[in-house]
Amino acid sequence: MEEAVGYLAKHDLGIRVLAGGTDLIPSMRQGLFDSEHVLDIRHIGELRGIRPRPGNGVEIGALTTLAFIERADFLRRHYPVLTEAAATVASPLLRNMGTIGGNICLDTRCLWYNQSLTWRKGCGFCIKKDGDLCHVAPGGTKCWAAFSADTPPALLCLNAEVEIASASGVRRMRLSDFYTGEGDAYRKLQANELLTRVFLPESSADYRGVYRKLRIRGSIDYPLAGVAVAMKRSNGYVADARLAITAVNPAPLLVKGVTEMLEGKAVDEALAESVGVLAAKTAKPLTTSALTPEYRREMIRVFTKRAVMAVANGN
Amino acid sequence: MTDFSIIGKPIAMVDAAGKTTGSGKYTDDLNLPGMLVGRILHSPFPHARIKRIDTSRAAALDGVVAIVTGKDAPNPYGILPVGHDEHALALDKVRYVGDNVACVAAIDEATADQALELIDVEYEVLPAYFDPEESMKAEADLIHDNKPHNLEKDYHHVFGDPDKGFADADHVAEARFIANEVTHAAMEPHSTLAQFEIDSQTGKRGRLTVWSSTQVPYYLQHKLSLVLEMPMAQIRVIKPLVGGGFGGKSEVIPLEIIAAIAARAARAPVKITYTREEVFWAHRGRPRTIIDLKTCVKNDGRITAVKARVIQDGGAYCSYGVVTILYSGALLGALYDIPNIQYDGYRVLTNKPACGAMRGHGTVNVRFAFESQLDELAAKINLDPADIRQRNLLQPPCVTVNGLRVQSYGLPECIEKVVERSGWKQRKGKLPRSRGLGIACSHYVSGAANSIIRSDMPHSTVNIKIDRDGGVVVYTGASEIGQGSDTMTAQIAAETLGCSLGRVKIVAADTDLTPIDIGSYSSRVTFMAGNATLRAAEQVKKQIAAAAARKMSCAPEELIFRDDSVFRKNGHVGTAAFGRPAEQGSSASVSGRVEGQILRGSLQQKRKDEGPKDWMTFEEAVVAAIDFHGALTGTGSYAPPPEARGGKHKGGGVGPSPAYSYSAQVAEVSVDEETGEVTVHKVWAAHDCGRALNPVSVEGQIIGSVWMGMGQALTEEMVWKDGMLMNPGLLEYRSPSSVESPEVEPIIVESIDPEGPFGAKECSEGSLAATIPAIANAIYDAVGVRLHEVPFTPERVLAALRAQRGQKKINLTEGIDPTAPAKFREHGGSLWFRGKGPERHPLDPARREGPAEAAGGD
Repeated sequence: MEEAVGYLAKHDLGIRVLAGGTDLIPSMRQGLFDSEHVLDIRHIGELRGIRPRPGNGVEIGALTTLAFIERADFLRRHYPVLTEAAATVASPLLRNMGTIGGNICLDTRCLWYNQSLTWRKGCGFCIKKDGDLCHVAPGGTKCWAAFSADTPPALLCLNAEVEIASASGVRRMRLSDFYTGEGDAYRKLQANELLTRVFLPESSADYRGVYRKLRIRGSIDYPLAGVAVAMKRSNGYVADARLAITAVNPAPLLVKGVTEMLEGKAVDEALAESVGVLAAKTAKPLTTSALTPEYRREMIRVFTKRAVMAVANGN
Repeated sequence: MTDFSIIGKPIAMVDAAGKTTGSGKYTDDLNLPGMLVGRILHSPFPHARIKRIDTSRAAALDGVVAIVTGKDAPNPYGILPVGHDEHALALDKVRYVGDNVACVAAIDEATADQALELIDVEYEVLPAYFDPEESMKAEADLIHDNKPHNLEKDYHHVFGDPDKGFADADHVAEARFIANEVTHAAMEPHSTLAQFEIDSQTGKRGRLTVWSSTQVPYYLQHKLSLVLEMPMAQIRVIKPLVGGGFGGKSEVIPLEIIAAIAARAARAPVKITYTREEVFWAHRGRPRTIIDLKTCVKNDGRITAVKARVIQDGGAYCSYGVVTILYSGALLGALYDIPNIQYDGYRVLTNKPACGAMRGHGTVNVRFAFESQLDELAAKINLDPADIRQRNLLQPPCVTVNGLRVQSYGLPECIEKVVERSGWKQRKGKLPRSRGLGIACSHYVSGAANSIIRSDMPHSTVNIKIDRDGGVVVYTGASEIGQGSDTMTAQIAAETLGCSLGRVKIVAADTDLTPIDIGSYSSRVTFMAGNATLRAAEQVKKQIAAAAARKMSCAPEELIFRDDSVFRKNGHVGTAAFGRPAEQGSSASVSGRVEGQILRGSLQQKRKDEGPKDWMTFEEAVVAAIDFHGALTGTGSYAPPPEARGGKHKGGGVGPSPAYSYSAQVAEVSVDEETGEVTVHKVWAAHDCGRALNPVSVEGQIIGSVWMGMGQALTEEMVWKDGMLMNPGLLEYRSPSSVESPEVEPIIVESIDPEGPFGAKECSEGSLAATIPAIANAIYDAVGVRLHEVPFTPERVLAALRAQRGQKKINLTEGIDPTAPAKFREHGGSLWFRGKGPERHPLDPARREGPAEAAGGD
């Protein structure tokens, strides 16, 4: 660890971290990162594994693979929304390599950005890389590339925190503070820092959880829209609930007002529908991916409704 | 005789283990000493004049050996004689984003890539055309100067009396159908390795050898000769293993010529392998097609006339375009009995990569429209969709109104089989809500009766050599591209000669060694190369029979060749009667050569001295024949018969085939009415392949066709924005994964064609076209919406559902449609880079505020 953050401190402008490499390597081939160095952290053993901390929730090392998370009994029993989300990432082969840390840090995506250098020359580049304009929101000065990872909305529902290490020490922050909402500088992680651990609090344990993902193929695809719900019930009424959406904004977002809307109520179709409408209002999809923005927003509504119904009915 | 020993049995492909273990070599696996890597510079503009290319900075880079541009090979070429409009590297103009500008040959890929960045090209950007209907109005800035209105070719055919047909009809359906652009997505990207030899006598540059992933080695040899100005005899093309073609390798692809030019300039072997993005730019896929279709029927369901107006968005070069637009019209015939046909076809040039031939060449999109419309008409007259198809069957043997000769015709049986197996009669209309069944039919040629380059030359020739070792070597120009051509050839040779499969060695697709075969396209190999193999084998067999008959004191006609032995007919059945083991293990696993060497020793001599006998081993018979002739050779060739070559009308050469395959399919789907997602649960697919030479291979082809058709039906689509391909990779271009692959029940129908080898016809393309309309019709059955645009993406389906229910309209589909502007707007890098970009197209959803007014529709 010390050695790793040492390297980061030394080359803080020209270094990228390789954990699973499933996104980094294709992106480097497309010339999206022109860093001189790649820091391979795959063999830092202490960052791998799931460690329950009785009374304090659970700690997950950033290098834990998504496949390992998907199969972990402890998580399935106590934090099922994470299990569900992890199981939908890409394909089985990629989950064997991809890590939870990498999924949290995943670069935002856009059809005008995730292309080869030759291709991007053809469109005149864009704000996110090498250019100064946006093709999906012309005239805009903001990058709208969509955050397209599956596990962060689940983690947001669980009030997760992340640990960030650098040569000057370790800090901890709420995951909801980690993302900026900008498509280009999308995360609060300096070039000399490393995301090392994820913490799921005890207070979020044993919530029911559901993740619903819109994609064209049943495997491989990034989400085109995603909805995670975590819910606690008591006597048939909602005691607490949180809902987060992904792939329709430059950051994964907890939908505000969901808790208030559901708390103390028995979930029925109409209630689920109003939660769906609320979530769809939070979604701001643009033409960053396949399927039209209007359709993706509509699916946030439908998927939210279904996820809320499913979680209330115990899947 | 239907008692075959080799054909008709499920047999593993003869090259299967090489592919599954990794020991087989594809082009990119090949390496030569001193080999360089070639990388290509592509145009960032859809339409521009090249004013200047300066390669000096790139040439100065360490490790760069040669840089070639259009000037190094100025001769134009193209797959069709009427379409010589391509240059391997652009000469004066680039015509699509991705067009080829220059090639660097360097010591490694990184150096070559670095050098590409150092090539300075000055362009004069020209207005560009992306929409075919707009492109047809062009007066200036034509894509090719000799093609007014950017019209590659148009055809106007009238067969029978369509006006009378319309007048006689009781019901008419008329609609516009759109099928968006799709590509082959073969697993192996194109790859070519080229090497010039030093002439061993003169020391000058000598012969050229090219290894390439191609379906058409002989066309490649021909085009290389044209561009490089070398005699064909000085060029050797070798086809290593090919990882799928589907039509994408059925013509000469720029890298094949560029590699040769670069090798000539660099004086070293050069290998170029396309990236996946370059494969998308090389393309040659199925064009976006706009079909205005009108079909008329009587109350009893009989079709009286069909009128089709078809516009194909062909991209920047001719490629196979003229053939594609002709197939689209010609293959309206030969499936059903249609007495009157009017066809207007337009192949239009646009500033996008060239479209070409793709599995089901020309027929697929029109078939989607036709089979959908036929279902609509069936609903109008309250007829079961299966019945309306049965009421319009041909009565073969016959010649259709547009001059296509039909002999074997398994369509009625195909329909019966899928109706029976799917439980159509009991289940149609009785499935739960949102679940439905749909039926559709299709057909395809077993090879074109007229070759691209008109001549009387045979389309396939095969040589066979048998020497003293008892090994049968078959030399065929047919190209194995994964479809099983080598296996088919070995099976036919072994069946005819009565020897084991393991004895047959295939030497294929090497222009120095094998006789000319025009290639693996239009599903011609089994029919044509198969017939040539059969004839060559029969010629050799005749020589062996003559010698064996003398030894056995009988007439050659009395002999039977089977199970590696030759015996007399009279009274004996099977080989066990002759006191030798009937089976030599599983015969396929025995090496003929080893056996031969053993036999050449004492045993062989001993049996030779024994005098007349009533059976001989295959080796003995061969040796007996060789004692007379020396090594045995035979040659066979195939040319389609004149009566199968079609009508005399302009364009009548495309469509005729010696035989047609037939297919009928039933698809069962469900539709999620809230999301518009379509799930295909099962497809019953019956295919008439004449005779299944290798049933497991036929089933594989049927399943593959259904799967590929389902990809086009539901998820695959090349998405364009102003000439930029938005999804040039397999992540965003979504071929189905194993997760959404339905169960496919293949049903083989054997109509035994009178002219096919052992009655066989094609089986690799004909099934694809039925899948798309079967799914469309099943969606209609499930939720009552008729979709007119393929693929049926969830947003298109949902838009149609909402329109049907009269729900509030939201603009769900505009964004993914190629909302191409009428004219190219200043688009290229520099201007946009400085923030002086153009306004977005008014229809671009990114510009829209709130819900749009237009219905989603479909």
